[in-house]
Amino acid sequence: MILEGKLFPVDRANVDTDQIIPTRFLGAVDAAGLGAYCLGGLPGIETLYAAHPDATLVVARENFGAGSSREHAVWALQARGFRAVIAPSFARIFEENAYNNAFVLATIAPDDVDSVFAAPSARIDVAEQTLALPGGKSIHFTLDPLRKEFLLGGGFLAYMASQVESIRKWETTVH
Amino acid sequence: MGRTLFDKVWNDHVVRELPGRNALIFIDRIVLYELLGPPAIDQIEEQYDGALYDASRIIAVNDHVAPAKDTVTAELAQQLRTWAKKRNVRMYDVGQNGICHVLVPERGHVLPGSTLVCSDSHTCTIGAFGAFAFGIGSTALAGAMLASAVIVVRPKVMRITVRGRLQNDATAKDLALAVIAQLGFKGGTGYVLEYAGDGIAALSMEERMTLCNMAIEAGATTGMCPVDETTISYLRGREFSPAGEEFERAASDWRTLTADADATYDASLEIDAAKLVPTVTWGTNPGESVPLTGSIPRDADAASLAYMGLHAGTKMRDIGLDQAFIGSCTNARITDLRAAAAVLAGRRVSIPTIVTPGSQAVKRQAEAEGLHDIFQDAGALWTHSSCGACPGLSTGVLAPEMRCISSSNRNFPGRMGAGGRVHLASPIVVAASAVMGRIASPSELSSAVPA
Repeated sequence: MILEGKLFPVDRANVDTDQIIPTRFLGAVDAAGLGAYCLGGLPGIETLYAAHPDATLVVARENFGAGSSREHAVWALQARGFRAVIAPSFARIFEENAYNNAFVLATIAPDDVDSVFAAPSARIDVAEQTLALPGGKSIHFTLDPLRKEFLLGGGFLAYMASQVESIRKWETTVH
Repeated sequence: MGRTLFDKVWNDHVVRELPGRNALIFIDRIVLYELLGPPAIDQIEEQYDGALYDASRIIAVNDHVAPAKDTVTAELAQQLRTWAKKRNVRMYDVGQNGICHVLVPERGHVLPGSTLVCSDSHTCTIGAFGAFAFGIGSTALAGAMLASAVIVVRPKVMRITVRGRLQNDATAKDLALAVIAQLGFKGGTGYVLEYAGDGIAALSMEERMTLCNMAIEAGATTGMCPVDETTISYLRGREFSPAGEEFERAASDWRTLTADADATYDASLEIDAAKLVPTVTWGTNPGESVPLTGSIPRDADAASLAYMGLHAGTKMRDIGLDQAFIGSCTNARITDLRAAAAVLAGRRVSIPTIVTPGSQAVKRQAEAEGLHDIFQDAGALWTHSSCGACPGLSTGVLAPEMRCISSSNRNFPGRMGAGGRVHLASPIVVAASAVMGRIASPSELSSAVPA
């Protein structure tokens, strides 16, 4: 899986899920319709969209996706046309939701973030776990091995369904 | 080697270790509600013919906007109740509902040492019972309903030892805010916060729930409190708790749900409860707080201040307010309402004030004690139970730049309404502030003129 595109710089830490998709839009539109409201709670978002109309890779500061469990945050980013978020850290539930939707999160070292903010575009190779910037800099990013499988192959729910029998067996014999 | 409380519950539920630090964890109880439940229902109905691992483990609650306020919320609630009926899932609907994190323990749907998930980040509230309870997204919820299991990265465990007793108007909310201030808004990420110490033993279950409720606001997977006689007394006689001999047998198992003396932790922190004071947030995440008697820090985040319309150095008590809200899964249990009512008794609020009980059962109890009269005599609005104003969906949505002091858990930009500004505080500080029309502590009211 190769993701290549212009960067969308969200130069803020703690971009919470209420900012990514305000609660009032949950259930109000279908997943595809969430794109129109993506990052709608982030102060100054209109200016940012105007300056970067065709960017597809978000780069942000630490603790992106903090707060609520709403998977709509991931769906909104996907519906808006974003293909990945690059940040030094993510909130747990947001991270799980991203993997369950095969949406790429690249967790990079805090020291590498400024160089990504300085770049106009990036190229992400998920299998290799590398983030390449114009000019030749290549940054390694971390990825949970199991979640990487779901990211590349999809099928989180199918996996859970395939476990039902063994879970029933565990429940009756062990629990 | 000694085991932590978390280790004991985790080990008891590992179906299988998976690559990385992941594990397939058996889930005893699954809770969903009308706002974030339907996407999970859609996935199971459309892809797996509605198959549920065990419908009796699932609880559906209509809580976020209940009753519905418009067609959108009505359709979500209708989908939940239609599905619950079709699939034999127990449902708490309008009239007998409550905020799920208040209702679930109140009805005895959680047991110490169990695992519980819900499509809501404040599910960590339930960790107060020595359960491993945490929030998940809708697809993970679909997986949990399908297989009664989730995939979790094994969290690290941080022991937070609380010494001493809360005093001088400091409450469990102030303790929660102190933990977040010390850890930072993301400092708990990847951890379970395991509480310990005489300061925790001294807390009621309601207070422990308030504390665990805000574990997510430090980024933590959940909070957990050890089981003691307070836990057991709370659960005895609850509608769905085990009864009679069965309860006593279960209780003797539950008493083992504390950390071993030689348990080792990945991190630890100590807090002196006796030194805590009423605390209020000034910024746009729950970690940005100061003592109520203090001022906004000189190094306060500029973007947070710009959103909040505030300046570094401003005294918290000089901040005027437009609305007050007492409610939410953090602070809307009966003890919270009693404390707020004690502040408001014989006084009048000077700004619109909304009191939303945590469940219909809490509402009835409050009314039996006459608390609803105290609130209404003070000029506050006494509503039905729901998540209410906290998520900015109904009964108290803020207008842009409107400033609200709230007993809830999130002060994110836009949380209680687009452009709205939220200050988090304890129910008694919210009540005192409602009287004064500015951020105020209950101790300031003695000199104020009651209406």
